[in-house]
Amino acid sequence: MTKRRFNKTSKCRFCRMGVEEVDYKDSQNLPKLTTSQGKLFSRKRSGNCARHQHSVKVSIKRARFMALLPYVA
Amino acid sequence: MKLRMYEGLFLLDNAHASLEWDVVVKHIHDILQKNGAEILKTEKWGEKKLAYKIKGHKRGTYLLIHFNAKNSAIVTIKRDFQLSDYIIRSLIVKDDKIEELSQIATTEGSAEKNIDKIPETVIKESLREGDMSREVADTI
Repeated sequence: MTKRRFNKTSKCRFCRMGVEEVDYKDSQNLPKLTTSQGKLFSRKRSGNCARHQHSVKVSIKRARFMALLPYVA
Repeated sequence: MKLRMYEGLFLLDNAHASLEWDVVVKHIHDILQKNGAEILKTEKWGEKKLAYKIKGHKRGTYLLIHFNAKNSAIVTIKRDFQLSDYIIRSLIVKDDKIEELSQIATTEGSAEKNIDKIPETVIKESLREGDMSREVADTI
């Protein structure tokens, strides 16, 4: 049996969910895109498309400003 | 001049917010209305632990307000918030899906879950302190 290397339909998680822009108030999902230290995951690691990765970057920075996420944990 | 929809998130001082919540909310509404804004929706998030200390505060109460305002009024609104004693920090962001949300606001008074789905585009981060780089990208 050969292993299936990758899923054809795999896409960025926000594309799959049909989210247009990432919300900075989404305290459930944003921490999943940061390391335990609170650093942003790379585009490669998060698997996001360019547009959504940009949107994630902006919303995490906003969430940090409002003390919803840490700058450094 | 055309009104534009904004979304403001306010971090309030717990000492005031827990004792006199109505006074604090009215204070914020007054500031907005004084600058010609019309308030669509006010939502209390409740008390939360902050991710880091801000001016000695470890906990704070969040308040989310959607409002329509003139583009030019935002500068004065932000300054008024910075001068306020009740508000520790505020973030005002432009909300692009104007029609959807104003419909929600008028039809269902407290449709809290719908709010999360509505995206916003970049705009204004009002800074209480000068410790972060200012990021103002106004399109109009």
